[in-house]
Amino acid sequence: MRKALAAAAAAGALAAVGLIVARRGRLRLRRGLAALQLAARGGARYTRSAPRLFASAGRSREQLRNDLALQTAEDVANTLGAMKGVLMKIGQMASYVDDGLSPAARRALSRLQDSVPPMSAELAAGVVESELGLPPERAFARWDPQPIAAASIGQVHRAITHDGRAVAVKVQYPGIAETMAADLDNVALLRRLLRITAPSQDVDALITELRDRVLEELDYRREAANQRLLAAYYDGHPTIHIPQIIGELSGRRVVTSELSDGARFAELAGWPQEERDLAAETIYRFVFRSLYEAHAFNGDPHPGNYLFHGGGRVTFLDFGLVKHFTLAELRPLMQMARSLCVDNQPEAFRRAMEDAGFLVPHAPLSTEMIVDHLGVFYATIRTPGRLTITPDYASAVVRRFFDLRSPVAGYVSIPRSYVILQRINLGLFALLGELSATADWRAIAEEIWPFVQAPPSTPMGEAEAPWRARRLAAARD
Amino acid sequence: MGTDAYADAAGLVARSAAAYVSSVPTDPADDGFFGPASITWRLSGDLSSIVAGLRALLVQALHPLAMAGVDQHSDWRRDPVGRLAATSSYLATVSYGDRAAAGRAAARVRRIHEHVRGTDPETGRPYAASDPALLLWVHATLVESTMVACELFGTPLAATDGDRYVAEMAVAAELVGIPAALVPLDLAGLRRYLSSVRPELRCTPAAADAAAFLLDPPGLDPDIAEIWQDIRDGTTAAMPEWALRMYGYRAPAALTPARRAEIRQALGVLDVVFLGEPGVLEARQRIALRMRAAQRA
Repeated sequence: MRKALAAAAAAGALAAVGLIVARRGRLRLRRGLAALQLAARGGARYTRSAPRLFASAGRSREQLRNDLALQTAEDVANTLGAMKGVLMKIGQMASYVDDGLSPAARRALSRLQDSVPPMSAELAAGVVESELGLPPERAFARWDPQPIAAASIGQVHRAITHDGRAVAVKVQYPGIAETMAADLDNVALLRRLLRITAPSQDVDALITELRDRVLEELDYRREAANQRLLAAYYDGHPTIHIPQIIGELSGRRVVTSELSDGARFAELAGWPQEERDLAAETIYRFVFRSLYEAHAFNGDPHPGNYLFHGGGRVTFLDFGLVKHFTLAELRPLMQMARSLCVDNQPEAFRRAMEDAGFLVPHAPLSTEMIVDHLGVFYATIRTPGRLTITPDYASAVVRRFFDLRSPVAGYVSIPRSYVILQRINLGLFALLGELSATADWRAIAEEIWPFVQAPPSTPMGEAEAPWRARRLAAARD
Repeated sequence: MGTDAYADAAGLVARSAAAYVSSVPTDPADDGFFGPASITWRLSGDLSSIVAGLRALLVQALHPLAMAGVDQHSDWRRDPVGRLAATSSYLATVSYGDRAAAGRAAARVRRIHEHVRGTDPETGRPYAASDPALLLWVHATLVESTMVACELFGTPLAATDGDRYVAEMAVAAELVGIPAALVPLDLAGLRRYLSSVRPELRCTPAAADAAAFLLDPPGLDPDIAEIWQDIRDGTTAAMPEWALRMYGYRAPAALTPARRAEIRQALGVLDVVFLGEPGVLEARQRIALRMRAAQRA
């Protein structure tokens, strides 16, 4: 148990600020945080609570699940209060981190997740009623009282709206937002947990980031707003689909969105390489179009947050962790990419890094060393041509990111507003590496880079053209 | 007897957890002496029970004869963690075990007590662990400490549940060999009894050693040690002021609501560490299922 929990907290906080670590490029696929896909599977039921108990007991799972369900707000407080909800959140964020967690810490956090039963039908109905003003059987034409999946600090129910749409309704545990907000105020305790194992990290910055992200996630209205914004942005896109939010059936603790069906990431791994490449291209286009054009970044490239439909069509789920950027924040990033990859001017790249705060000015390092150290992050886009993102490449990126022994490391830091973007380096590449995805990433980047705006380079780029034309027209109006 | 005379507290969590897990039955023949609807079950699972246990030990140690018995006959200085684990195991067996298991555990303790006799070096008085007066002291301090700790850091009891709990726990007192007539059956009786013992109490060197160990266990795993600072503050906040004075500790400032919340959060973190030990979740679910079934009945 040595250092176990502190390690978990530290690794979790690291994950929370954007470090989705993969070892040997393999993502852990076990936990689909927003396992909405279960919804489409009809008979699939909530299976997360106490799997070992279910396996060992003679009673049916359904019965046991009901027996252990949280029945009152006091049950919720006993289960998730006293720091447990915060630790669980940290655990969820760390659940796809392979490095940095001791087995004991992983076990403690995973057992904590297993220890949280779903809400009873009555308790969940009470939350829906307090948010929507009507009990669920009246707010919806049909309401399935059995949750179909665990969600972030809540659970997901299936329902059909009065106008006949099949929807997924995410319902938050009552009282949990207040409890977790209060627990996140105990900075001293969080700091103690982190300091033991992350002495080299800026613990206060980690805590601030963890706190901000979790507090944002606790307000489902924010998630709904982000999802609505991106759904509108990608409306009419040939391969990117974002489920519509049903605004009148959403609130602070309830969010209702169109129900989606599709294959999960683990299934995609068994599809032909051509399909995997197309899915990867869509994810890549989504990430960088969102960033450079919508100035928004979904900080959760978790494998559970995609549904795949073939032909490169992908449904994107879970917008609880979206960061918005100003143009002023994005400009230095573009300048960096442009100087290094397009203009091939290492000195300008170095200056852009200094201006953005990534690199200490006048560091006693040759520009060559700097480019050598940081170039790995740009390896997929520095040169044109088809390139396969391998698990080895994804690991190399992660290793370089955490390489504190390099002489360059001491002069590099990540300004807080860009911390979340490191999920590109540590999450997106791991995901694409898992698919062994091949594409001319540089050519796709040139289509998207605002300072290049190249014509379509792939069939998917061609197919985007009408959508893109409408977007540009809308931007001009 | 310097503080170097006792071993460190490494493995405290793992060994306490193992003791707990093996004491929660998988297939009980009956509901034991308390049952799933009891206040005893509810309090045994409360987050505050660590503070309750520490407070009880600190108050118990102030009885020179009780302390001398532990100091001269148990190996607590050599293996303090084992001693604590054995006590947790006994309490969990008596609470959750069926009547046969609880009875066997109590019989074993009574047999051990038969051999625990001697003379307290401080007072020069003879003692015997089977002396109902000493057993009652240990019993009453545990019952009171459980309620005080729960009030401060747990999910507080309803007003009438205090009396119910004292009455329920009388069974535990009888199991360990205290004549029923001596055992307080309500809160007022419990408090009267505790006050009546006060004149006999004093802080012997052995008690001071035990308290120092419990409040600041040497050799704790580093992550636990960080959290223990809050657990210690919680324990001293729960202690009676007279007991702290006897130990020579300054009475802490009144607990602010914020500090209370922080200590509760630390208890939650420690609970998660405990939960990570093998079998703990399953043991808790066994208990929770039985409590739920009793609720529905």
